[in-house]
Amino acid sequence: MGESPPSAGESADGSGDGLAADGGSAPGVDGRMSGLTTYLRERPRLRTLAIAGPPYGILVFFFAIPLLAMLVVSFQADQIGGAWTLHNYTDFLTSDTYLTVVWRTFLISVQVTAIVAAVGYALAYSIVRFSRRTTLLLLLVILPFWTSYIIRMYAWINILQSDGVLDSLLDLAGLPTLGLLYTDTAVLIGFTYVWLPLAVLPFYASLTNLDGDLIEASKDLGAGPIRTFLSVTLPMTINGVVTGIVLVFIPTFGSFITPRLLGGTNNIMIGMVIENQFKSAFNWPFGAAIGMVISVVVVALLVLATRLGGGLFGTGGETA
Amino acid sequence: MSLLRVRGLTKEFGDLVAVDDVDFDVEDGEFVSILGPSGSGKSTVLRMVAGFEEPTEGEIALDDVGIVGSPPFERDVNMVFQDLALFPHLTVGENIGYGLKQSGVPADERRERTERMLEMVRLEGYGDRTPSELSGGEQQRVALARALVNEPALVLFDEPLSSLDRKLRQHMQGELQRIQLETDTTFLYVTHDQEVALAVSDRLVVLDDGRIQQVGSVEELYEAPESRFVADFIGDVNAVEGRVTGVEDDTVVIDTGDDEVAVPRDRAEDVAVDDAVDVCVRPFQVRVESADGDADDPADADGAFSTTGIVRSRSYQGSDSQYGIETDRWGHLSAEVRSASFEVDDRVTVAWDAGDVHVYRRDGVDSPEEDGGT
Repeated sequence: MGESPPSAGESADGSGDGLAADGGSAPGVDGRMSGLTTYLRERPRLRTLAIAGPPYGILVFFFAIPLLAMLVVSFQADQIGGAWTLHNYTDFLTSDTYLTVVWRTFLISVQVTAIVAAVGYALAYSIVRFSRRTTLLLLLVILPFWTSYIIRMYAWINILQSDGVLDSLLDLAGLPTLGLLYTDTAVLIGFTYVWLPLAVLPFYASLTNLDGDLIEASKDLGAGPIRTFLSVTLPMTINGVVTGIVLVFIPTFGSFITPRLLGGTNNIMIGMVIENQFKSAFNWPFGAAIGMVISVVVVALLVLATRLGGGLFGTGGETA
Repeated sequence: MSLLRVRGLTKEFGDLVAVDDVDFDVEDGEFVSILGPSGSGKSTVLRMVAGFEEPTEGEIALDDVGIVGSPPFERDVNMVFQDLALFPHLTVGENIGYGLKQSGVPADERRERTERMLEMVRLEGYGDRTPSELSGGEQQRVALARALVNEPALVLFDEPLSSLDRKLRQHMQGELQRIQLETDTTFLYVTHDQEVALAVSDRLVVLDDGRIQQVGSVEELYEAPESRFVADFIGDVNAVEGRVTGVEDDTVVIDTGDDEVAVPRDRAEDVAVDDAVDVCVRPFQVRVESADGDADDPADADGAFSTTGIVRSRSYQGSDSQYGIETDRWGHLSAEVRSASFEVDDRVTVAWDAGDVHVYRRDGVDSPEEDGGT
């Protein structure tokens, strides 16, 4: 995720080159070049800095420095400015209660990611391969983003609660009611609904780039639909799949709103614990320490998953 | 019994009839080309044989067994795709071994057969590279090897050579013929390029607008084209407008403006008195001589077409020269002449024997230039 600002910087750099070259190759239009353009054109390093500087500045000021501050605070006792200590880390890492919550969070995140990946891939695949109304369908996928996250969660509360929309419908149909609100199932449903578009978009992008001839070639060479999917379609789109998985897994792991609203008090996730340390317990150093540990764990898991994905499918597709 | 038998094959896409009642056979061990301009339906025919399209009507039999309705992965045919469709995430060796893997050939035998195939296409030692590291010609060979290694009854080609430059294309044509003989496989090759088709094929199926125009050996199609379209499409041809004034037992008399020429009956089948016709002749059959002013119509007595004209263009083609001649009577004609030298603006006489022409009725048979540009 941290790679997108530099690449945006690169493309901006490229277009800047084009402009400068244009001005240089046509002597008659020299007068149209502003003084600033000329000034920058003669100082390529300054130009690079002018273009790439702002995104890097944003990264440094709003991500790197706060992260560093969090790291510093996590080694302080009880409050900001307290004595230096490792207690926040040892307390967290030796507590069965907290580690159980981390494990629970991990399991839920894996389940959510797996469900979203499966449903999202099927959805993206059907949009790309079997549909003509691609734009409309993509719009429908993105549309929920226009409504606030919180409002969508409250909608799910309405649907899932006892005597809510779902139960009323089941009752009408003469089926037993479920009362899903405040269960793990409700949390899974909420997450799946919220993150699905995030996964569908990269899946869609990599599937559109997949050359249909490759699928035909595979079938021509004797591979049935499942074999073709596993040995051509999936490996060729693996970059998009990994991107989608990362986009879903990270926010799920750190999430605290969805589990609080839909999961009730018995279904704690680690994001809720951290939030609690900052907002109710006012133990910022402890919250920061948990945050650091979780960040390291998530990054390690993602690196592992990416390596594994790349290893499984050799060189991987270059399409995504 | 033919290896491939196609009968009444028709494919409609909505209102468009892409392939219209096509019949042809491919015998075991043959190299057959389907030749036609863009949009003639030739690729659709190939895709129906491969199983990527289902015919609207008609039947396709391979080894006397109907294959319409069976999926591509169950058909004993393999295809070399137009843009090759090599798997970019697999090595050359894995690409070639892909089909063998699908049919459950054990790894050892797979490796051995892949090696042998790399040798056959002269790419020894390339097995561990990826396709993107290979040149265009080398990628063609990999695509060919990937199809051949499965020892299919029939290999299909969808214009794979069209992306190569002329020299490499000619080389690959030779390679295709060599490999076809060595492997004793049957090839069905689709192309719009008559040069390729003439060079490699035993027989040609000429397709236009979804319909078969003619099926025959390369020689038959070149020497006895059944229509103006085929004459035009296979090799160059000059056409002179005329009118039939008499049909006799063994000759047809044609008025081409100022005079009448008797053409042998077998050169002008299917024409009747008063028909408007095209008299077609190949450029290499046109004789060009220096005009001396006194002999304006030198040869119409001895069964030949002739006129005078001025040389407008000249291009060297190695042993021959190609002349563009503006004739007094029939507009622009081209002539291929060996061991003669005329300059632009020279005044010449142009003549050809009545026995070398083909005469076709002008009932709306379009020339490929007119409808082939899609």
